[in-house]
Amino acid sequence: MPAALRARKYNRREAVAGYLFITPWIIGFLVFTLGAMIYSLAISFSHFNLATGRMRPGGLDNYRALLDDPRVAGSLRNTLFFAVLAVPLEICLALLLAILLNRVRRGAGFFRTVYYLPKMTPAVATAAVFLLLLNGNTGAINRGLRAAGIEGPQWLVDPAWVRPSIVLMALWGVSGTMVIFLAALKNVPRDLYEVAALDGAGPIRQFFAITLPMISGAVFFNVIILTIYAFQVFDQAYLLFWRDQNNVAPESSLFYAVYLFQQAFRQFNFGFAAAMAWLLFLILMVLTYLQVRIGNRYVYYEAER
Amino acid sequence: MRGRRSITLTAGLVLALGVGTFTAACESGDAGGGATANFGADAAGTLTAWAFDNADDVGKARLGYAAKALPGVTLTMDQTGFDAQKFTARLASGEVPDVVQMDREYVGTYAAQGLILPLDSCFTANQVDPAQRWYANVLDDVRYKDQLWAVPQFYQPPAILLNTTVMRAAGVTPADIDTSKPDVLLAAIAKMYKASGGVPTTLGFNPQAVGQTYLWFVAQGGKLVGDKGVPTLDDPSNVRPLELLKRIVDAQGGFARYKSFTDAFDVFGDQNQFVRGQVGAEVDAQWYANVLAPYKDKAELSAVPFRGSDGKPVAVAYGGSFVIPAKAKNPAAACKWALRLTEDGAWNAAAEARAATRAKDKSVNTGLFTGSPGPDRAIREKFVKSSGNAGFDQVVNTFYDVVATGRSAGLSPAGQQLKQELTTAITTTLLGQKTPQKALQDAQTAAMAAYTSIAGG
Repeated sequence: MPAALRARKYNRREAVAGYLFITPWIIGFLVFTLGAMIYSLAISFSHFNLATGRMRPGGLDNYRALLDDPRVAGSLRNTLFFAVLAVPLEICLALLLAILLNRVRRGAGFFRTVYYLPKMTPAVATAAVFLLLLNGNTGAINRGLRAAGIEGPQWLVDPAWVRPSIVLMALWGVSGTMVIFLAALKNVPRDLYEVAALDGAGPIRQFFAITLPMISGAVFFNVIILTIYAFQVFDQAYLLFWRDQNNVAPESSLFYAVYLFQQAFRQFNFGFAAAMAWLLFLILMVLTYLQVRIGNRYVYYEAER
Repeated sequence: MRGRRSITLTAGLVLALGVGTFTAACESGDAGGGATANFGADAAGTLTAWAFDNADDVGKARLGYAAKALPGVTLTMDQTGFDAQKFTARLASGEVPDVVQMDREYVGTYAAQGLILPLDSCFTANQVDPAQRWYANVLDDVRYKDQLWAVPQFYQPPAILLNTTVMRAAGVTPADIDTSKPDVLLAAIAKMYKASGGVPTTLGFNPQAVGQTYLWFVAQGGKLVGDKGVPTLDDPSNVRPLELLKRIVDAQGGFARYKSFTDAFDVFGDQNQFVRGQVGAEVDAQWYANVLAPYKDKAELSAVPFRGSDGKPVAVAYGGSFVIPAKAKNPAAACKWALRLTEDGAWNAAAEARAATRAKDKSVNTGLFTGSPGPDRAIREKFVKSSGNAGFDQVVNTFYDVVATGRSAGLSPAGQQLKQELTTAITTTLLGQKTPQKALQDAQTAAMAAYTSIAGG
């Protein structure tokens, strides 16, 4: 048998094995993701009440209602504000922590574990802690600021500071992003730094000339993932402000996913909620497409060397 | 090539991550509204109950009583708390419990959609006269379109707890804490309020603006729910209570500082706001007297009723209830079980259990507030004794005195959303973001959207 034919056969066998390995995921994806998406698209064109099971055709009613409902635009604005603030901050903080951890030699495992712990903490527990930390009068954050002579804001009540307070809570879970950066940093060849040092490049120059380009793939990945997550933010806003009707919830804390949840499960407006979900999907598609198009110009792919 | 890869990558990423927003697996089906049930049938077989999550000494005694009274019924309980999302999912699946405990203010949402059964025939078939068994306002809490949709239980009226130590130091008397006389009340607040660097250290009066929403609006002459449960948040009568709340809060550092201060209270602990002198007076539901009972000798307490705009004592509060889903498999047993749990014998058993607990703890028995006048009277006479602390006894008696002054805020299909919108209106007004009129108008628009969506206009 010619070598080329043997190789092709081998490749086909390998491909079949690969597909078999991912079959459970494909089935899960088709049933629980694609199936649910198609279903949600269908009900977005209907007036559907999940609790009663009643469904009647709605045409474009729900999509028209998206334009008419001021809370859709308001919640999108709040979400966009959060994304614009949270994504860059999370990227910078995660990168900073990853660089610090990458330099640690003794006790590296201990520090990595400690820094990753917040990611393992349940969101409810984190929210409970942040309710105390962010108290405008007695919270630890404002006490610290007061000690430095700064009068801190009323984080959880003042509408102007509600969204930044949710960003702060989101930053608590930065370690997931940090781990990806750390892995990328570990893959940067040391000899590049040695050569740069011989050429007289200082740490800052090395960072911008070597580190950042070499980990640009990880940065790119994290920016896309965090942007998508930011537009879907729910836990933090819901736990801090919307978990029950006795909570004081400034309008600036009404994020898109929270409003979607309210429409679906408090007002039983599943058709409208589905239309909201598809609007978000389209927004994310456009944003991610733009990020990919722009990002590809700056990302260094090892395979393309 | 690169463009196509970008599109593929984009679609893949968003598809994989973006759809988490909405992946509810749904199932169409019949609402079951209008389903009828033979509530007169014998109680037998398996009964599934959900959200009876108050199984303390009182709950256990009532459960034991109902079990003895209904020997042919095998009870299966899910004691997790009521959750609207979970209930919706269960309704969609068709696998509903036979009886569900939920707050009375949410009953209208499910009644309007035919998801629960009207219970008038449950009462009739079991010779229960609701008007005899429950307070009128408690029944109004579960009345929608002239039908009763739940078996109510508990009614814990609010009143104003006074911190005599703080009041005396400021020269304020109980007569000054009068919610029907705003100027007198505000003057008393000004005398008691203390701040350090702009941050409150003692509130003259904690109105519980958000926690006691219904009380403030209904008692001060407002109207939240109209005919057929239609929200009426923009009714002109609602402006006055909101303006009064704003004056009270503004006199104590403004809403942001007031809220942060009250959030930091050790409400259930031995450093609570009364022991620490952080409040001069505070609106509280009756259950809070139980919390304060162990500290009756550490804080000098007394109480006055909350007064309506007409100067008369008034109490507004919802409570719990049992509803029977339209698709319940054993509605007859569900009806009888709920009725057994709320009859005199069950409350007597509960009161005996509570008395035993209090005797064991060597603490004060402040009574039970059952939602039914007969048991309330009987329990007060039989089990509520002097604590040896005149001030605290006066607190207990005040709650008993105001229980008969109850008014209902009404039942609306927009229940949950109405409360949320009203809370938002209060918050935006107290923060100074909107005028009371504008805030109430916006709240009405949103609540009406919910009402239309749920009740179909």
